[in-house]
Amino acid sequence: MAQPWEGEGDAPPLALTLPSLRAGSLPLPHVGEGQAAGFVKGLMPVHRIIPSLLLRGGRLVKGTAFAAHRDAGAPASTARAHNAQGADELIVLDIDAGREGRGPNLEAFAAIGNEIQIPMTAGGAIASVESARAVMAAGADKICVTSTALDRPELLTELAEHFGRQAVVLGIDITGEDGDARLHDHRNGTTARDGDWLAWMTEGVGRGAGEIRLMAVDREGSRRGFDLDLFAKARAVVNVPIILEGGAGTLDHLGQAMAAGADSLALGTMLVFSDNNLVKLKRVLAQAGHPMRP
Amino acid sequence: MQVTVIDYGAGNLASVANALYLAGAEPEVAATPEQLAGAERIVLPGVGAAGHAIARLRAGGMAEALDDARKRGTPILGICLGLQLMAQRIEEYGSHEGLGWVPGRVGPIEDAVAVPCRVPHTGWSAVTPTERASVMIGTGNKDRFVYFCHSNCLTTDAAIVAATVDLGTPITAAIRHENLFAVQFHPEKSQQAGARLLQAFLEWTP
Repeated sequence: MAQPWEGEGDAPPLALTLPSLRAGSLPLPHVGEGQAAGFVKGLMPVHRIIPSLLLRGGRLVKGTAFAAHRDAGAPASTARAHNAQGADELIVLDIDAGREGRGPNLEAFAAIGNEIQIPMTAGGAIASVESARAVMAAGADKICVTSTALDRPELLTELAEHFGRQAVVLGIDITGEDGDARLHDHRNGTTARDGDWLAWMTEGVGRGAGEIRLMAVDREGSRRGFDLDLFAKARAVVNVPIILEGGAGTLDHLGQAMAAGADSLALGTMLVFSDNNLVKLKRVLAQAGHPMRP
Repeated sequence: MQVTVIDYGAGNLASVANALYLAGAEPEVAATPEQLAGAERIVLPGVGAAGHAIARLRAGGMAEALDDARKRGTPILGICLGLQLMAQRIEEYGSHEGLGWVPGRVGPIEDAVAVPCRVPHTGWSAVTPTERASVMIGTGNKDRFVYFCHSNCLTTDAAIVAATVDLGTPITAAIRHENLFAVQFHPEKSQQAGARLLQAFLEWTP
């Protein structure tokens, strides 16, 4: 009898070979919720809370709608605190690299990477496989590309072929809301690709992006809640994980977003300029029934 | 405890070395086959696409040196792509011959599951250890939640599966075969659950 892995194209699911494991499974606390918002029936990882760190001149900053940046601390010590408090992942973006026409700040990535035992997604004018390799060597686990992918969409495919698509995060910056949401290029503050962010996101996933960072620019630093309409539109057209960012201000915002199926939330201002900390946030969300990492 | 981490240009070497150091080891990085001669334990990490990785391993003679170490009985821990490379065949951006250390083949998650699930599988999921996991993976809730980031998975002989992760359909999360232990997830990125596994590997007698 042929073994299940010997088929040419149609290997039967591993489940067929593992009936005893299935029957003996330990209870899983994260049976997927929010599935109504997607087209997925399988189980999902637990929800992720992801601090979003912006690098400028070797320091961290936070802004409002991509402007008015204020100092937000030293990268390494901030990362160490997030790691200790149970952050599920970090996003670290060198926000001046593109405008200044240089590569990303590898020293800062390495300083952060040395402090954490959770994944780091890093970005900032990464325009080639060589640049991405240097960022990975500095301690990143995933590469986030936003404007460099707009400049040269083939970059997504090149990165996926070298690092696997699970390591390629496509950043989608959006200004405007409701019917007026437009794809935004932060380098010059203009609308990109005629504003059609859904088409660009779909194309990006087709080219090799394995995750989306969906950023509602106008909400950044506003603390008025996530743009759940934006999320629902994105979720309806791609099957890759989506990290939603922009506007988190209260615990209710996080709970509402999770209830709407946004299982991966990036937080900036909310963690920096307030008395919220991750331990408290995650405990309250878990008590409210959202599947969180124990 | 001496441990040798393989550098073949496909990975988060710094993270793995750092986590091993925190687990009590003295990690050394090996980029040439000669450096494997005296290795007591080996970690084969990997973030990347299989085609490039296997080509680089073979080009430098590292694949052969690793195979020699395996035959000598050196304990080897594979991580993520490091697990996938051990298979007979890997289907990702083409079809590639793997190291062939364990039965089975690596292919897209979509082909291995009975119901559609989110792909890539990115984030923290609970693994279900089998008796083969022995002391390597704990059964407590905190020990079972580990970080995954992959698009492909190994379909193999159930007899070597040490843990599964349930995406609606259970897929391979860890294997143990002779002196090989390999995990689809990232212990170096899984905080205390990962540290526990790395410590257990450092003390493991196959």
